[in-house]
Amino acid sequence: MADNAEFENLVARFYAPLYQFAMSLAGTEADACDLTQQTFAIWATKGHQLRDASKVKTWLFTILHREFLDSRRRQTRFPHCDLESAEFELPSISPAAISRLDTAQVLAALQKVDEVYQAPVALFYLQDCSYQEIADILKVPLGTVKSRLARGLGQLQQLLARDLTAGQNPPLNL
Amino acid sequence: MNRDEAKEILQRYRPGTTDATDPLVAEALALAAQDAELSRWLAEAIARQEALRAKFRQIAPPAGLKEQIISEHAAAVRMKSRRHSLAFAVAGVLLLLACAGLFGWWQATPPASDLAIYRGRMVRAALTGYAMDLTTNSEAPLRTYLAQRQAPADYVLPAGLQHATVTGCAVEKWQGANVTLICFRTGKPLPAGESSDLWLFVVDRSKLKDAPAPGAPALANVNRLITATWTDSNKVYLLCVAGDAATLRTYL
Repeated sequence: MADNAEFENLVARFYAPLYQFAMSLAGTEADACDLTQQTFAIWATKGHQLRDASKVKTWLFTILHREFLDSRRRQTRFPHCDLESAEFELPSISPAAISRLDTAQVLAALQKVDEVYQAPVALFYLQDCSYQEIADILKVPLGTVKSRLARGLGQLQQLLARDLTAGQNPPLNL
Repeated sequence: MNRDEAKEILQRYRPGTTDATDPLVAEALALAAQDAELSRWLAEAIARQEALRAKFRQIAPPAGLKEQIISEHAAAVRMKSRRHSLAFAVAGVLLLLACAGLFGWWQATPPASDLAIYRGRMVRAALTGYAMDLTTNSEAPLRTYLAQRQAPADYVLPAGLQHATVTGCAVEKWQGANVTLICFRTGKPLPAGESSDLWLFVVDRSKLKDAPAPGAPALANVNRLITATWTDSNKVYLLCVAGDAATLRTYL
């Protein structure tokens, strides 16, 4: 078990970004809280195995993502929209239109993005993680991260454009 | 790199991060700096990404999440500590019980005497483990042979054994000392392959720490034989035969 003071410092530093990542992946507050707590519980029992203290952030995000994938495997797959392959030419959606959306609508759109693209997109927006850090967290090659980001960002903006046009997007319960 | 390729790369570009260190991104940015249309596209793409980033960063953890994580950890630590304490206590009690049991067993079990061990080992030799070194029905060659082997040869046979037929002898070992084994026949039918059914072991008294004092033979059942042990002069004698005490006494 980690030392109490050290553990509290770690929680204070990382619980909010971890929760944001969890929320982006899971889409519900309850699941995001569970994932965040589970991540710290795993840290408490296995964190001492981490030799390089500079890797704590990557370690925590990796664990949370793994826990999310494990929980997702135990559930019915979340339905998502079938989209055509992302095109590099993003849909015409203005920054102002995006600003009028609320966070729940953006997260609801992210939930419809192909599952494999959700985590890189969330890390891209949330953490300013470098491409290499995203690759480390998701345990995939750097080139895979770049291609998944291109497709994931494209899908997200396509979905947002579609929702803005249709004027319908059930908000998530934040 | 053309404009379309640059757009594909720049859609994942975030100003103020390390993205610009990516060689492809750097090349696309350089192209945008020279291409007015691409530059306008980039400005709008960046604004769009910033707007989306702002939405993601508005995600706020519910109140009390941090405190809940910390309190659950503290509870887990306390639980683990209790489990450790309990485990230590149980282990301590088990260790004490084991020590007490061991001590009790040690106290209750008398140490096996040298004589008892000797008697048991010689009975086992009689029943299963010896080979006759010299086969003869005459006693004189036995003594000669035993003397040559530095085994006790100046033994005194009890009166009862004078009537038994000697069949041979062997030399056994007891803690490095030679033990004389003289084999006899009682005259009863022998099992197939056997030539003897009465055995006398003789060892120097100094070789047994708890040799019995001179006196009447002590009888004891060992394995499926009955034995008589006695000390005479500087020798300890052990006579073994199948049967009961009355049978054995006829050879003493």
